Amino acid sequence: MARVSNNTLIRLGMPAAWIVILALVACGKPAEPPPPWKVIDAPTLRAMMADDKKLPVFNTMSEIECLDHRIPGSQCLACEEIEKDISLLPPDKNRVLVFYCESAGCYRSCRAAGAAVKAGYTQVHVLDKGMPAWKQAGYAMETVERIPRGSIPSVRAPALKRMIAEQKDLLLVDLRSERSFEEGHIDGAVNVPLYRLGRDYSGIPLDRTLVLIDDRGFRTFLAGSYLEMKGYRVLRLFGGMQAWQEMQAAK
Amino acid sequence: MTVTAGKRRHGLPAGLLLLAALSALCLPSAAAAQDCRFCHDEPLYRVDFNGSVHAGNGCTSCHVGITNIEKHRDGKERPAPVNCGSCHENIAKEYLNNFHYIQEDFRCSDCHRNIHAIRKDPDKNVKLAIIRKCTECHGNDDYTASGHGEAVLKGNRDAADCSDCHGLHSTRVFHTSLEQYPAEAREFYTQKCKRCHADSVMMARNNLSDRMVAYYEGTYHGKVQELGYPAPVAGCGDCHTKHNILPKEDPRSSIHPANLEANCGRCHSGFHPRFLSYQAHPDYTDRQKYPALYFTFLFMGGLLVGTLAFFWLHTILWWRKVYWEHHRMEKEGIVPPSVVATGEGLQQVERFSVKYRIMHVLLVLSFFTLVLTGFPLKYADTEWAQTITRLWGGAHMSGLFHRGAALVLIIGMIYVTWESLKFLFPKGKGKQGWIDRLLGPDSLFPNLKDLQDLKGMILWFFNRGEAPKFDRWTYWEKFDFLAVFWGMFAIGGSGILLWKPEWSSWIVPGWVLNIAALVHSEEALLAALFIFTIHFFNTHFIPNKFPMDRLIFTGTYRLEELKEQRPLEYERLVAEGRLESLKREHPSIPLKLISATFGLASLLLGLFLTVLILWSLLFA
Repeated sequence: MARVSNNTLIRLGMPAAWIVILALVACGKPAEPPPPWKVIDAPTLRAMMADDKKLPVFNTMSEIECLDHRIPGSQCLACEEIEKDISLLPPDKNRVLVFYCESAGCYRSCRAAGAAVKAGYTQVHVLDKGMPAWKQAGYAMETVERIPRGSIPSVRAPALKRMIAEQKDLLLVDLRSERSFEEGHIDGAVNVPLYRLGRDYSGIPLDRTLVLIDDRGFRTFLAGSYLEMKGYRVLRLFGGMQAWQEMQAAK
Repeated sequence: MTVTAGKRRHGLPAGLLLLAALSALCLPSAAAAQDCRFCHDEPLYRVDFNGSVHAGNGCTSCHVGITNIEKHRDGKERPAPVNCGSCHENIAKEYLNNFHYIQEDFRCSDCHRNIHAIRKDPDKNVKLAIIRKCTECHGNDDYTASGHGEAVLKGNRDAADCSDCHGLHSTRVFHTSLEQYPAEAREFYTQKCKRCHADSVMMARNNLSDRMVAYYEGTYHGKVQELGYPAPVAGCGDCHTKHNILPKEDPRSSIHPANLEANCGRCHSGFHPRFLSYQAHPDYTDRQKYPALYFTFLFMGGLLVGTLAFFWLHTILWWRKVYWEHHRMEKEGIVPPSVVATGEGLQQVERFSVKYRIMHVLLVLSFFTLVLTGFPLKYADTEWAQTITRLWGGAHMSGLFHRGAALVLIIGMIYVTWESLKFLFPKGKGKQGWIDRLLGPDSLFPNLKDLQDLKGMILWFFNRGEAPKFDRWTYWEKFDFLAVFWGMFAIGGSGILLWKPEWSSWIVPGWVLNIAALVHSEEALLAALFIFTIHFFNTHFIPNKFPMDRLIFTGTYRLEELKEQRPLEYERLVAEGRLESLKREHPSIPLKLISATFGLASLLLGLFLTVLILWSLLFA
């Protein structure tokens, strides 16, 4: 009899073991801690803006990008500006604030939101997936000062490296923030942060072809169109600093 | 729908607004087209617009929002941004997901610049026009070097232009500029390639084979992709690159022999150079090009058809005989002695010890795991395959279970081999008399009697004699047992080669992996169909056992059944005085219940899978 019950156990145990393995596999990783601000989707933001016409909604991109296209009724306030001077935000710490940025994977709105939370704001919101979510929901955009789209040729990192080696008459303009620039940049590049480009562009010499460099290659097109409108000859680094660093790392 | 073409400040070409304001003095009050042209009097609006596709529309069908022409004239009222989507509704909907809109906020007029003079031109080479437009910004050297670009420039109207792969108004955001290649991008672009390259009419017109797609879909890369888990396998663009798509004879091509190592090396590492002889699009029906694959296919096909044909016929004849016999006995009121056994006949006798019963359960579990993880890959394009793979938690998890179950099976196999050797060369006796043991009645190795039994059975099927008397193992049981050895050689061997193909390339060249994949797949089909039809029918569904024989799970049966089914074994056991030691208690209720549940569930699952497999084989 002992043999039989052993058997029974084994027969019961086998499928059970299988199920346990499956269950273990199905369990995901532990959840990340929630951010200290509230993430809202596009329809929610639209409803909030309809309820409160004066709701402070901040576009955290550079001023030229923001004036080119933004969510109607929002204000332009670059994330770098907020980090430098928190008093640019409304004085009432209990006021509802909303931050958004250009792309789905953008961290600028979160950096701005982080600065606001740190400064004691209690009702900080971030638009989930940024402006793309707003656009894809089919909501309108607002244009204050449109930059005519130009034809800005891009160069890939290896081609740029060759051009630098050949000492072509280029000026490398690094549009990233001061901090990113300090952490590392291409030799000979000058730093004109994009959030200040509208104010600082006139300091860039007109006699050389500019090569614009950003983080990932997404923002140089509009900046290039802006500079082309202002009379510059412009190229852009394809894939931005990330592509440059990947090329360097590949060696 | 609010995708707009216009701009608040630059809505009309900028100077025009100024002009409008300057010439405002003479504006009439109603805004008909001629009224607008009274001030906006350039040839573009007076002449070119009248010949354009939009000529039928008045100015105000696009430039809406002017309520008072005096105010407009005075610069106090501007038209609203042009909303092309109010007519071009579908395009506007597609455009919502366009990368240019999402990332750079392009509006219609940023590409369609000459909108007021745009004309219908049936002779226009649209492909060329698209390439010209895109390359205004995307000066892509790669594309112009590609076979597609060159063909378009030469006037080929089939070759892909930018929009054929990237979409025109629906250009997606995959961030390929970052050389990131997420699953959706691979899936998306692979589908784009397939759309043309599987089109037989288009391919024939261009002297290309439309079968390349099907051959790719027959490989591991293609099947995992098809199953909906493109992340870990090569799609078209991974090997042929994104733009620099050239024939393999061209030294710039990624698939040129000189570039293959780097090309495959982007995903695979640690392989021997002969790994590169793996065929990514093999055609096993092409005897000239792939003779080894061709003959393997013939052999495996022959084995499959031969084995199944023989045993299916055997099973049908057997079933016929037993059913007719049953019918006769039922009609005449005859009950087989094993059913009405009394006294001594009721005694339970052990046929399978605990060890072998456990092994059978392990075999059943690992076999089902292998079938449920392997066949979805084999029939990757079917709905059921995708559902089952989702249940496993994706192709990757499914693959892990497949390998886990394979390990169980391999370990079991090694154990059985060890047991067989112990049987042949027992302690104390060694080699002495091993041939007698090999061919003796307790051995699972076929002998002359099996041939006689087969002949006897066939005569019995046709009512030409009595059913043969069996000893411990019948010939079909021996076949089942030995088939696992062959199966393990074919499936296990090929499976181990495919487990880590890069390492295998240090032993065999890449083309052997093509053969291994074919053998693995065909042998699996043979094994599954054999077990789920022939083994199931022979052991469980034959009328005197139907719906199942729980013997392999409970291990014991009645003495009367032993006498009836294995008369020679019974006589031997009595003669050798071993019968007493095999007598057991009647199996307990829990054991019987669990055996029946597990057994019937397995049978039903197997039958269900047979239906899916046969359906996929014949119709999918």
